[in-house]
Amino acid sequence: MAREEQFDEAFLKKLEYLYIVSQKIVSGRLRAERKTKIVGSGIEFADYRTYAHGDDLRNIDWKIFARTEKLFLRLFEEEEDLYIYFLIDSSKSMTLGDPDKWSYAKRVAAALGYIGLSNLDRVSIIPFSSQLDGRLPPSRGKAQIFKIFDFLSSLEPGEHTSLGDAFRTFVTQNKRRGIAVVISDFYDPRGFEEGLNFLRYHKFEPMVVHLADERELDANFRGDLQLVDCETGQIADVTVTAAMMRQYRVAFEQFCEKLEDYCVKRQILYFRAPIQIPFDELILRVFRAGGFLK
Amino acid sequence: MGGLQFTGFFQTTTLLTLAGIAAGAITLLYILKLRKRRIEVPFSPLWAEILLEHKQQSDLWRRLRRLLSWLLHLLIAALLAFAIADPHMDSEVVEGRHILLLVDSSASMAATDVSGGADRLDVAKKQAREILETMGPDDRVMLVNFNNQVQPLSPFVAEASILEQPLRDIKLAATDTDFEQAITFAADSLRDEPNGELVIITDAAGIEPNAFADVEFGEQTTVRQLKVGESKGNIAVTAFNVRRYLANKQDFELFLKVQSYFDRPVSAEVQIHADGRLVDTKPISLEAGEVYQKFYPSQAVAGERLEARVKLTSADARDVFPLDDRAYALLPEIESARVQVVTDGNLYLEGPLYLNPNLEVTKTPPGSWKYEEGKYDAVFFDRFTPQLPERGNFFFIDPQGEYSPWESRGELTDPIITQVRKTHRLMRWITMKDVNIGAARKLRMAKEDEVVASSALGAPILFTRIDGERRMAGLSFDVRNSDFPLRVAFPVMLLNVIDWFRADDDSLVESYKTGETWSIPIEGDAREATVKTPAGESYTVPVYEGSAVVYGVETGFYEISAGEVQLRVAANLVDPTESTIAPNNLEFGTTKVSRDTDSLVFDRTEIWIWVVLLVMLLLMLEWITYNRRITV
Repeated sequence: MAREEQFDEAFLKKLEYLYIVSQKIVSGRLRAERKTKIVGSGIEFADYRTYAHGDDLRNIDWKIFARTEKLFLRLFEEEEDLYIYFLIDSSKSMTLGDPDKWSYAKRVAAALGYIGLSNLDRVSIIPFSSQLDGRLPPSRGKAQIFKIFDFLSSLEPGEHTSLGDAFRTFVTQNKRRGIAVVISDFYDPRGFEEGLNFLRYHKFEPMVVHLADERELDANFRGDLQLVDCETGQIADVTVTAAMMRQYRVAFEQFCEKLEDYCVKRQILYFRAPIQIPFDELILRVFRAGGFLK
Repeated sequence: MGGLQFTGFFQTTTLLTLAGIAAGAITLLYILKLRKRRIEVPFSPLWAEILLEHKQQSDLWRRLRRLLSWLLHLLIAALLAFAIADPHMDSEVVEGRHILLLVDSSASMAATDVSGGADRLDVAKKQAREILETMGPDDRVMLVNFNNQVQPLSPFVAEASILEQPLRDIKLAATDTDFEQAITFAADSLRDEPNGELVIITDAAGIEPNAFADVEFGEQTTVRQLKVGESKGNIAVTAFNVRRYLANKQDFELFLKVQSYFDRPVSAEVQIHADGRLVDTKPISLEAGEVYQKFYPSQAVAGERLEARVKLTSADARDVFPLDDRAYALLPEIESARVQVVTDGNLYLEGPLYLNPNLEVTKTPPGSWKYEEGKYDAVFFDRFTPQLPERGNFFFIDPQGEYSPWESRGELTDPIITQVRKTHRLMRWITMKDVNIGAARKLRMAKEDEVVASSALGAPILFTRIDGERRMAGLSFDVRNSDFPLRVAFPVMLLNVIDWFRADDDSLVESYKTGETWSIPIEGDAREATVKTPAGESYTVPVYEGSAVVYGVETGFYEISAGEVQLRVAANLVDPTESTIAPNNLEFGTTKVSRDTDSLVFDRTEIWIWVVLLVMLLLMLEWITYNRRITV
């Protein structure tokens, strides 16, 4: 999709507006800078941990040693630039329908990326399917938004979804931790857990934007059909009835709830985003939830 | 309920074959793998869970559903084949029939003893029209009108509507009925036709029981009589004649015959109308079935067109047949004859002539006679024979002299008349055999002469000659020398001579009988004549050998004109048989005759329409289930 069509001046103005609104929503908090959970050489106390061989002795809390005769190391938060990785699902399932989830995902990424850039964060965009399908290196500053636009415009859909494989590659290639905003429908036959766990286990802070197309739930096809998986090409002969469609909706709800439960239990920010709602409304929801900027 | 019969275009075996092929094709299509719609879904594992759960139920239902769908289509194919076969109940008439509608329009059909119409013919036409309106598509119908003639109005036609106008045009004919001719015609017409159906709409009035027992219809012909009429109450004028008196043509006598067909005594009134004016009424009483006949002598009314009407006066009886209540007769015109008597005195001759009021007699002595052309209708020469002109009517008594048309060869004494041509006009109402004659001349006859009376030896006594425009008659003896003037026959003979001269043969103007071909003498050399019926219609008829040939079916006075000749005739039904209007049942020996219209009216239940509707309903059901994804 051409940049002019999707990411035009009007879109940019909308992003400006969203940014301003987001500032009002998060007013009273520290502006822009977000502290990472990386414990380093900062001045603000973060936590304790037991001393290990080789640790800097200067950080040993001697008062605790005096009381308990055990060595604990004081940890300080290290202030650094926040890295925001937008992991955009580019699998084929994102391209079904018109408008499709793929366009929506790119607009959401552009909006959140703009806000990140405006907060002087480093924003990187990485499309993925069964692998990483490209990469926009971390950029900083609002001026980089056009680079983001160009990158998003040039993206092409990939193959099937494999969160595990893609995120494994991602965590390997990106040593700098940060927020990993996963924008996907999470239609991974192997499950979403493996991929998200990869992020968690490698100290990324995942944030899930779960895109859904409500038209999939209201499909009116009935009868003897061949259901073809758009990603795997797997064919299933099925006689679709109204009851079956109801069951499908239930199954989809269960799928969504399972993902949400997973995220909630692991303190992962989760947003379900039916693409039928305007993307800016989703952005505002994100900010109202207060999880994207602190 | 009976079984079914199939009347479709295809034979049953052909149709079964086609239905079998269709069923096979449907089955084949079902056996072939159904090409399913391909739907692209974003994430099939979600479906997989559901499919696993539904697998058993789904397979069973899918099979059942396909079986139901297959059976439904087989049912539709079978129903369509059934509809194409055009099924009908056995009890219905389904094959094309050849229906011959025989509509009686004879006089008795004018009886008004019917409901739903003006008269029997009106009801008959209505019944015929109802039958025509309900003809089946395969039926062929012929319309035949009959009275005393059979008149086919169409061949067997499929389009019954074209017969409606001919049916409307059937008019009542005041004639008798020739049932035998009509029924024979119908039997012959239907004999070789399949599913023949003869429908006779008639009152069958006046038929003899078992009159048609020998009529043979074809084996496939069914016979049906739709009887019209209910009553036999009728009183009729069955004879009506008038005649002027010979001696006094101003007066006339009247003969009337009235017959009652009631089975109880009734009273009536006979009215005589002259030229439309009521001139006389005569009350009469009639016993059951009585025939009243009477002469009414010495009637003296002015007018020529006489009409006798009989009118029922009994309050408790109703005459339902007005057609025969009137009879018509004509009186000859009264025209005085101008007669010249050339004699030097003959009381016997002059007396009868002077006494006749219809004669204008002029006496002329033989010496002063000279021919005056056109002044006299007849000239009587008494023992005087002058030189004759080329035209004129002359009667000679004892012709003699050099100018006599008949050469005298002597005398004959006491001749006895033995040979008389009774049919000759001069011999009307008289006889001469016992006339005593003293002496008569022996006259030589020419070849153009006609001897009316002659002696035993062959001597002509009374004779005539027509010679160009000259008519002559003669007596070969002096009437004074005989007793002939003392007899009634003498003046009558004189009047006969005058009438013969004037060709005046209408002392009795005959009435004609409707339904017959009339031969009406026309003077002159006209080739055709115009007939004006009592109803006012005019048509042209040929004149053949001096007679107009007219076929009339209306009672009343007809006016016939041919060139300058104008004459009038009366026509009457006067048919006691036709006046017997009691309706009867026709019987044809062993052939069964239906009396109603059951199974005649083409009222079939078209089952195929309902079958097609059912097919459409099933298709709609199939369409709904298909669109609701129930059977796909």
